Amino acid sequence: MDSTKNEDKLIDKAAREFARKELLPDREERDRYLFEPFSQKILNTAFEVDFFHLNLTEDFGGIGRKITPLCIVLKNLSETDAGMAAIIFTNSFSHELFFESGDTSVLKKIVSDKNGIERFLIAYPIFTHPDETQSRVTAELKDGKYILSGITEQLVLGGIAKQCLIPGNISGQPQSSLFFVDLDSPGVQLSDPLLNLGVHTCPSTDLALERVEAILVGKEGQGGVYFSKAANRLQICGAAISSGIMTGSFEEALAYSRTRIQGGRKIVEWSELQMILTDMAIKTNTSKELLARACQAADAMSSGWEKDVSAATIYIQDAACQVTTDGVQVLGGSGYMKDYGQEKRFRDAKHLQTLLGMGPLKKIRYLKTLL
Amino acid sequence: MSVEPRFDDITCSLAATKKQPVGMIKEIKTVMAIARKFNQEVVEPEFLEIDKKIQADIGYIPEHWMEKANQWGFYTMWMPKLFGGQGYCFPSLAYFVEEISSRCVGMANMIGVHYLGLATLIATWNLPVIKRIRKDVLDGEAKGEPCVISMAITEPDSGTDTPEIELVDRGNVSCHAQKVDKGYRINGTKIFISNVPLATWHIVLAFEDLEQPSHTPVWFVVKKGAKGFSTGRKENKMGQSACPASEIIFKDCFIPDDQICLNSSHLDTLSITAQQAYQRVFDYLNSVTRAAVCAMGAGVGRGAYESALKFASETQVAGKYLINQEWVQCRLADMFKNIAVSRLIYAEAGYANGLYGFFKMLQLKPLYYMTKMTPKFILNRVFDMAADKKITTWIIRKIQYDWQQEIDLQRCAGWASLAKFAGSDAGVENCHIAMELMGQAGIRHENRVEKHLRDAKLLQIYEGPNQANRVSLFNSFIKRTCPHATVFEDQ
Repeated sequence: MDSTKNEDKLIDKAAREFARKELLPDREERDRYLFEPFSQKILNTAFEVDFFHLNLTEDFGGIGRKITPLCIVLKNLSETDAGMAAIIFTNSFSHELFFESGDTSVLKKIVSDKNGIERFLIAYPIFTHPDETQSRVTAELKDGKYILSGITEQLVLGGIAKQCLIPGNISGQPQSSLFFVDLDSPGVQLSDPLLNLGVHTCPSTDLALERVEAILVGKEGQGGVYFSKAANRLQICGAAISSGIMTGSFEEALAYSRTRIQGGRKIVEWSELQMILTDMAIKTNTSKELLARACQAADAMSSGWEKDVSAATIYIQDAACQVTTDGVQVLGGSGYMKDYGQEKRFRDAKHLQTLLGMGPLKKIRYLKTLL
Repeated sequence: MSVEPRFDDITCSLAATKKQPVGMIKEIKTVMAIARKFNQEVVEPEFLEIDKKIQADIGYIPEHWMEKANQWGFYTMWMPKLFGGQGYCFPSLAYFVEEISSRCVGMANMIGVHYLGLATLIATWNLPVIKRIRKDVLDGEAKGEPCVISMAITEPDSGTDTPEIELVDRGNVSCHAQKVDKGYRINGTKIFISNVPLATWHIVLAFEDLEQPSHTPVWFVVKKGAKGFSTGRKENKMGQSACPASEIIFKDCFIPDDQICLNSSHLDTLSITAQQAYQRVFDYLNSVTRAAVCAMGAGVGRGAYESALKFASETQVAGKYLINQEWVQCRLADMFKNIAVSRLIYAEAGYANGLYGFFKMLQLKPLYYMTKMTPKFILNRVFDMAADKKITTWIIRKIQYDWQQEIDLQRCAGWASLAKFAGSDAGVENCHIAMELMGQAGIRHENRVEKHLRDAKLLQIYEGPNQANRVSLFNSFIKRTCPHATVFEDQ
């Protein structure tokens, strides 16, 4: 996406520099996380350059809580490696939930404490929508405190964050509430890091709670409402990651097809491959345009912005899966090997299609906004 | 010009109802039952754990799986009885592959690649070499030490080019076979070779003249441990990881004449040219292996479908079972369709091979029933005696190379290419649908579908990328309707 404002240009440049200097070297090795150590050093560097403060208002030490700069960073990083972008997105989503709840006292404390990245990160299960999955965490109010028990699956940033937000149901209430949990509390048990399809450098764990004290965020029974509002605004940021992945995939495919020779000519000169590359280019560029317009609409909160953002998000996430599938195909056997970035992009794009809920149900929810 | 579509092209299954030995139905049923039992006892308990182990340690190779396959007799199961194998009909291999692939394409490949090697070896119709290698395979089974055959064609700078007669001379092949006294000296590298380093024998394609490879092919076999032959680094694949793949490297490797399966001098007393023989070997080979890839697509697509069906039937969204949502029912129907259509196409490709191509001789009813009823030791003795006589190899090559009708081979190649890209595309599509239908559950390794997706993608790439297979279909069935049409010219 094109950045026009000066501050956006600076952010754009900083993200590209970070991707080139920090993410590109050893990308394939870092993707082996689970079986190799997590790269804390890069996470610390990203924290130092303030990528984690983009969705905070200025009074929280952020830069204004605008969608466009956040999307610029996520897209630029994801052109090289979507893992860091997924970490930033998850943390930003947790910030968004606090803001939407109107209850930011805990968030204020977190961002004020200068305890480093671990105490700054807030984990959240971002691969599900409360409408789709009934919370398996129950809460009871005892002596003025909420006590949580149950299981949350796929807690993203579990294992690297010291705290999380999770939905849970207070006894007798059908609607879920939002709770803040300190993951060092007694009764908290995190599983080993999960082996997932993609974004390996954005770790997840399952979370088991047994009578764990938690803080209610916002009002009882409003967890789903906060999620929907946060998802409405930030879903396009998830699409920015997908847009970055497909840009990376297309550029790698184009570069390869200019050098690889088969049948006595560069493969880019074969017309069927040109068709594939053209399809990739059209989807990639259309997605960039949609992303830019959706960002503008979301920041300006122009009339009907939620619908524009939803449509753009669904399109971009689907397109990323198609483009990265072709991105592997253009490189043939090499594209299937972990020596190149293409197979990783293929896995990451498919993985992130599920961000904030199941793809097909996102489509049904979108249609409902039109009815 | 004949009226298109031609009757024989579109009625292979119809013709097979009369011409195909009825005993093959029972064989296919038996093979499917064995495959399901193998899945249940060997693959199912371990396939996710093995995939995880290899992600953790690229060097890990599940050799015990190959040993299990050997114990179950899978490396001789489709070796013709005449050669000492169990002699199950070749079309049943596709059904077997579908079953195994519904759990683990890597395991299916570990078995299937052996038949890729064996089929290549057979397609060169060099009976003394076949006799020697089949003995090692049979001994390996008897001793519990698997002896499998790999096949090495792909080179660093020649992937799509090598199997395409129209491309190879314009390509950049580099595996050189230099004629020396009593053999060849081989130099070069082959990449992405499945079942290496486990394979004992490798059938390899090299070229006497790198500028004219289609005119100077040299098919030879080399045994593990040969001087000047080594295996390179193991490929780090996204999926199908249970079946290892590695480079193989030749550095002044001497291959004696008795390990040369086919070169231009073998064709001196035949009508066929070296270039035609090059095409013929690949036609036979691709007609079998590309249909098998379709079966893998059907299998992996079935694995994805079964996981999605289980998820949909157990999962509620907003208090309603997913299985009762119309969109879910329609996606499951799409997936079922993809599997069923793929199965029909690989079966049709099998009928074509049986009636007109590679399996034709074995499926002639008199020969089929004769080999079924004759005790194996008698067949073996007959083969051993016949294989040593030059005249036998000459006669078979005369039948398979000189007398083979071009139109029949085109029919087999066309169906196989159609099967290859349709089945692999359908398999990948099913995995995408299943992932979307399962949402968060789909991305977790333990829920299988993400592995199926990683496995499926390779099916669109190997055995000729799907784009080359589309051109092959055009070449077989469509080009003839336009006399001025050419392929791989892109004017």
